[in-house]
Amino acid sequence: MATQAPTPADSSRRSAFEKEALVHLDALYRVALRLTGNASDADDLVQETMLKAYRSWDQYQPGTNAKGWLLTILRNSFINEYRRRTRHPETVDVDTIEPFAVFNDIQEEDPQGAFFDKIVDDEVLRAIDGLPEAFRETVVLSDVEGMSYQEIGKILGIPVGTVKSRLFRARQMLQGKLYDYAVGNGYIKGRKP
Amino acid sequence: MKCRECIEHLYEYLDRELTPAVETEIRDHLAHCPPCGTKFDFEAAFKKFVQAKSRAQGCPPELKQRILRELFDE
Repeated sequence: MATQAPTPADSSRRSAFEKEALVHLDALYRVALRLTGNASDADDLVQETMLKAYRSWDQYQPGTNAKGWLLTILRNSFINEYRRRTRHPETVDVDTIEPFAVFNDIQEEDPQGAFFDKIVDDEVLRAIDGLPEAFRETVVLSDVEGMSYQEIGKILGIPVGTVKSRLFRARQMLQGKLYDYAVGNGYIKGRKP
Repeated sequence: MKCRECIEHLYEYLDRELTPAVETEIRDHLAHCPPCGTKFDFEAAFKKFVQAKSRAQGCPPELKQRILRELFDE
C-alpha cells in the first residue's frame, strides 16, 4: 500500500516543530550527555525526547519557551528510564564547601584566573560530571545553557531560592576541583602547604 | 551598599537576575571597592570559562538524521 501524501496540517505541524523544537537539538544533547554520562544513552534519551515532544506537540503553546518545555520532557524521561542504569561518582560532601576558597587562595598569585585557560575542555566536562546530580543539572542549565533561575526552577521543579543555593555550591565545588587539577599539573603554585 | 551585601548578590549579578536599580548599586560599589571588584572579575572569568569549554559539543549529525527519519519518515 502506498503511503499517504502529507496533508497541509501535517506539513505545517512539521515546519513549526522544525522551527521551534529541532533548533534546540544541540542544547538537548549537551544536557543529555551530562545527565547520562555516556554518548549512547544520551543519543537514545534525545531521540526519545524528540519523539515524545512531537507526539505531544499540540500541548506546546507556540511562541513560549520551547527549550524549557523540551528540557522538562528530557529530564523526566531521564529520571523515569535512565537514572537507575547510569552511575555517576558522587564523592563530594557538599556541606563542607568553603565559600570563595579558591579565590581566597589565588587572589595574590592569579587574581584574573588566567590559569583557567590552560585547562582543557575534557577536564572541565569531567569536573562537571563529578558533581552530585542535583548540582550538576543546575550548573549545566545555568552556565552551559544560559537559562534563568526561574526557567531552571520550572524544569527541575524546585523554588528559585534552591536554584540559587545549588548554583552557588555547584560553582564553588567546580572551582575547587579545577583548582586542584591546575595545582596538580603545575599550572599554578596554589596555596602554601 | 556594603561589601557584604554586594558579595551576597555576586552570582545573581553575574547571572543578570537583579533589577536594574540593584545592578546599578552594585556597579557603583564595584567601581569604588577594588577588593570586591577583583572578586567579581574572578567569578565572571570563571563563569565565562565554564561556558566556553563546555559548549563545543553539539548533537552529532548522525543522530540528527536518525531523529528526522524517525519523526518524518524521511
